[in-house]
Amino acid sequence: MMRVLIVDDEAPARDKLRRWLSNHGDFEIAGEAADGLAAAATIETLKPDVVFLDIQMPGLSGLEVAAQLESGTAPLLIFVTAFDEHAVRAFDLNAVDYLLKPYDRDRLEKSLHRLRERSGDTPARSAVRTARAQTRSSERLLVPRGEQLELIEASAIHWLEADDNYVHVHTAAASYLVRRTLGDLLDQLGERFVRIHKSTAVNLAEVASLSPLFKGDHEVRLRSGATLRLSRRFKDALFGRMPR
Amino acid sequence: MPPNSSYPDSSLGTPRALYALWALFWLLMIAVAVQDNISDAHIKWWEPFLWECSSCLIATLWLVLQQRAGRRWNQYLSQPLKWFGLHLAWLPVLSLSFVITVYAIRHGVYALTGETYEHPSWSFVFLYETVKLTLFMGLWLAIIFGLKSFSLWKQEREHLLQMQKLLAESQLSQLKAQLQPHFLFNALNTISALMQSDVERADRLLARLADLLRASLAVGARQATSLREELNLLELYAAIMQERFAGHVTLTRNTTDEALDASIPVMLLQPLLENAYKHGVERSSQPVSIRIDAHREGQLLRIVIHNSGTWQSTPGSGIGLRNCRERLALVFGERANLSVAPVADGVAASVTLPFEPFRA
Repeated sequence: MMRVLIVDDEAPARDKLRRWLSNHGDFEIAGEAADGLAAAATIETLKPDVVFLDIQMPGLSGLEVAAQLESGTAPLLIFVTAFDEHAVRAFDLNAVDYLLKPYDRDRLEKSLHRLRERSGDTPARSAVRTARAQTRSSERLLVPRGEQLELIEASAIHWLEADDNYVHVHTAAASYLVRRTLGDLLDQLGERFVRIHKSTAVNLAEVASLSPLFKGDHEVRLRSGATLRLSRRFKDALFGRMPR
Repeated sequence: MPPNSSYPDSSLGTPRALYALWALFWLLMIAVAVQDNISDAHIKWWEPFLWECSSCLIATLWLVLQQRAGRRWNQYLSQPLKWFGLHLAWLPVLSLSFVITVYAIRHGVYALTGETYEHPSWSFVFLYETVKLTLFMGLWLAIIFGLKSFSLWKQEREHLLQMQKLLAESQLSQLKAQLQPHFLFNALNTISALMQSDVERADRLLARLADLLRASLAVGARQATSLREELNLLELYAAIMQERFAGHVTLTRNTTDEALDASIPVMLLQPLLENAYKHGVERSSQPVSIRIDAHREGQLLRIVIHNSGTWQSTPGSGIGLRNCRERLALVFGERANLSVAPVADGVAASVTLPFEPFRA
């Protein structure tokens, strides 16, 4: 049994998919979402196996949603789009499939067939990577705020702190607890951040000064006044990136 | 392209052909004068040369003056009588100053060589030179008028060609935008979904889509339309959007009959409504209302497309707006204006253009 999330901003489009999927006993509709933010939140709470993800949506596009998923646990993705063929073609090898609107029942059957073959596969890690490469995902991060999700600018983040399967995202105004691994966050956010410890990474632009401690460790002082420890292991990486 | 750059202006430059012609004319005059007097033993070779050169010098000063100061009369090129009249009004002043300066030069040069410049009485000189000058000015003004008219005609033709080209481009891009692949395929998908559940609605949507295709094709080569027809086209577009996002958006119009009969460039408003949808409706999950106001303000027609959605500028969304601005600038010059600005409860795109009733 595969649990399915349907994401589309048009009600008739969701109805069509729900009606056709209901004929298949091995697929169960876990939920629906009508925009990108709701989709991301629903994926987090419902943990579906499969997401039919419309690309052109208000707020956050389907590709942007995919780019913000934890790549290690992402569901299988089927992109649904009216015209973004060029965008979805990049996924040829690593998304399960894409549907071009309007599609007929035979075409959907083919997608479902591919899904059955892939069920139990490793998660859609490479599809998430492709989506990151296609969107400005290194510029913005989706974070929870109360019950809601919101986008913050990556440049506003001072530093990242791993905590089990979560990461504390520190900005000047607030800290957010994101259910992602530090490695996956750094993969998304790219060059702007540098790891200084097994469990911490800093925004390079926020580093104010470095001062040596014992045994090759250093203290990193941020513009905000926060002090962090740079472990010997990551020293060269940081020194190599610091402006002289 | 900055707006208005191709609009005919009054700074028609002096064509090189004019100076070339002028130089040739005076070379000929000098040559003829020298040749005429070469066999006359009483006249030295340099005398006819001096006569003609002094005339040439002063006449050339005038030509330069005419080319500079006469520019302000370029606007009368379409009224030849007025143009010639304005120039000829200066004849008495020119005639007087010509005789004084030219004869002063000649007397001066003769005196330097120890000779005396002999000529008929001053009253005869003035009469003779004035008649000659009148003929001379008439000839050259005709040539200048011809050259200027020609370059004005060339400028206007270029402007017209560019306007037609821009219109063709805009028609093409509008057609593409109306039948925007996204728009078309999404509408088709909505129909495909609805026909399983609500045949009536699917049928209605299919008919609206066909209406829109027909109306877009019917626009054809026309350049202007009535605001009424333009709004009808917009409403078809909106009707389809409304079927797709039921309950999400409301479109209202608030127009006077006088405004509806006004003439506007074909498909000018389409990109503005599209923008309103793009920013207001497709990008926000809240219900959005779009209101179109149109009324006459004295000599102007003012159209405002107001949407209650959020103000968000996305890259690439400016193409439609830029196209609108360029078309307005080409058709109306500085008499039309388009601005988009956030307002208290949303975003407003405002167009003003000269009011003119539409005649089919």
